[in-house]
Amino acid sequence: MLSVAARAGPFAPFVSAAAHAVPGPLRPLAPAAAHRDRKVPLDLKRPLLCRESLSGRAARGGLVASASLNAPASVRCVHNDVAVPDFSAYRRQDVQDASASSQGSSDSRKGFSYLMTAATGVATAYVAKNVVTQFISSLSASADVLALSKIEIKLSDIPEGKNMAFKWRGKPLFVRHRTQAEISQEAGVDVSQLRDPQHDLDRVKKPEWVILVGVCTHLGCVPIANAGDFGGYYCPCHGSHYDASGRIRKGPAPLNLEVPFYQFIGDDTVVVG
Amino acid sequence: MPRHSRISLRPRSPRWRTASVWPQRSPISQPARMLVVFFSDVGTRCSCCQVGVWIEAGSRYEDTKTNGAAFFMEHMAFKGTKKRPGSAFEKEVESLGAHLNGYTSREQTAFYIKALSKDMPKVVELLSDLVQNCALEDSQIEKERGVILQELKEMDSNLADVTFDYLHATAYQGTSLAHTVEGTTENIKRLTRADLASYVDIHFKAPRMVLAAAGGISHRELVDAAKQHFTGAPLTHKGDSVPTLKHCRFTGSEIRARDDALPLAHIALAVEGPGWADPDNVVLNVANAIIGRYDRTFGGGTNQSSKLATLAVKHNLCHSFEPFNTSYSDTGLFGFHFVSDPLSVDDMMFCAQGEWMRLCTSTTESEVTRAKNYLRNAMVAQLDGTTRVCENIGSHLLHYGRRIPLEEWDARISVGIRLFWLGYLSTVGVSIVWP
Repeated sequence: MLSVAARAGPFAPFVSAAAHAVPGPLRPLAPAAAHRDRKVPLDLKRPLLCRESLSGRAARGGLVASASLNAPASVRCVHNDVAVPDFSAYRRQDVQDASASSQGSSDSRKGFSYLMTAATGVATAYVAKNVVTQFISSLSASADVLALSKIEIKLSDIPEGKNMAFKWRGKPLFVRHRTQAEISQEAGVDVSQLRDPQHDLDRVKKPEWVILVGVCTHLGCVPIANAGDFGGYYCPCHGSHYDASGRIRKGPAPLNLEVPFYQFIGDDTVVVG
Repeated sequence: MPRHSRISLRPRSPRWRTASVWPQRSPISQPARMLVVFFSDVGTRCSCCQVGVWIEAGSRYEDTKTNGAAFFMEHMAFKGTKKRPGSAFEKEVESLGAHLNGYTSREQTAFYIKALSKDMPKVVELLSDLVQNCALEDSQIEKERGVILQELKEMDSNLADVTFDYLHATAYQGTSLAHTVEGTTENIKRLTRADLASYVDIHFKAPRMVLAAAGGISHRELVDAAKQHFTGAPLTHKGDSVPTLKHCRFTGSEIRARDDALPLAHIALAVEGPGWADPDNVVLNVANAIIGRYDRTFGGGTNQSSKLATLAVKHNLCHSFEPFNTSYSDTGLFGFHFVSDPLSVDDMMFCAQGEWMRLCTSTTESEVTRAKNYLRNAMVAQLDGTTRVCENIGSHLLHYGRRIPLEEWDARISVGIRLFWLGYLSTVGVSIVWP
């Protein structure tokens, strides 16, 4: 865009232009303070060349003047003198040559621009999405709360034959280190006779470790370990008997004890949840 | 929009054995050998005639230092020749009762005299004197400087022309088409006799000139007169350096000249169009006829045949608008120009460009038929009178290398108009003069 400078109005007393000549630099402008103290004398003999007086002679309007601090001031008389500046520094290589048609390269130039715009748009969308999700996900559960959802259990603390209970997600978690006798006994149980048929090996990852949620599937009481008729658990509330694999054998409970998601990390650690 | 209309009319003369046929499509690239003479048989009962010389020279052939030489030369041409110094030339023209006129545009210069048919040989002699023997007196040159500068100031008040000059300046920035025809004030003050003489020497050569005539004269007489007076016209260029035109690059850009004293905004918007010889020009002219024009004096109210005009009236978008299709030898500007209140500029731009887009997809058959008929009408009406016919000949020969007869125009217009080229609407140059 090319803008034409302001009108001569405020500079009128200082702009002096002959009819066809381009004048020299403007006289320095008087600062506002000095102007108050010292009146600029009006020389009546010299014609005051301002917009109003000149417009009587000029075909249209007044003069157009441009003034700057460190460049010569100029008075442009006609539109013919307006020159579009040279923008070669900003031009692309394809359109540097003034005697070559710009049509030939227009497809490639446009393509490049569209490609850059599209790529920038995609990148911006990605960044924006990330920023927004980061801010919004800061409103969700924090790390310490999330950490509570998992529990890490050191297996070497549990001797064989022992069942340990942990608090996990507000519920009791039973980790039982089974003896070989228990394992073989549970493996040999006839699955078709069970209320909730599941083979023992389907409920464990390593047969010597059985990990269960200690909530009775009947009405939610906590079964007692190493009790009951089947060498497993016994729920005292309504008399449900579970075996060493946590399967229901006798009593009102409909389902086997729940097996949560767990992973063995190394030989000695299991992470549940 | 061209400042001056161009009409020319010339027949081929098989007797003029040294005349050569200009190449059809690119008259600027190949130097022809001889002045080409054409004539139109408007009717021997016509008692007046117009004879003119159309020269392939203009502001496009100038560079930054010599910009304005063509216009200056046009002024100087009427200020006397070597044979008829001072005001003797003008007096002689006026004693015939003839009108002498001329114009300069970006790619051509013309000098023509309208006189009685019986004075034709004298007129041809006067013209030959004018183009070959211009006096270029120093005192006259100095006087003309002031005149031209005053003329420049006056031209500044014609805002439509100013807008189009700005449009060229920005659309063809960095090229010779950006120059205004009149030149810069600096150049007007600086050009010397030597500059003008060298300009004449380079450009006023027989191969670049066309002698055109129309009216009640006989072809044979015209050819004889031309042979007599133009035989001495210089043929060759110094060092065999024929001035050729380089292509002018179009730059999509915008220029805004703000002037708070103006009550209305003048806006010109253009895309790069085809050159003269391109057949697409017919399609573009039909498109312009569909767009139509409008100004406040139109009486139809909201019932206009042009859809854009209807919108303009309904929403009070503009005071006037008109489309244009300016062509040069290898490029052109296709667009529209409108005058509006400063607050409706945005809306009018939107609607006008919307009309362009509508042309690309949804013109109706009736619109196209109407536009074609309008264009046919305009083509024929253009040949109304010896002046226009003569201008038609001169221009056609310079642009196309031959005179295109009306039948051919009709045939071209009647061809099914294919889909309006969206491809033209890719880069845009805009010029705005507004408060």
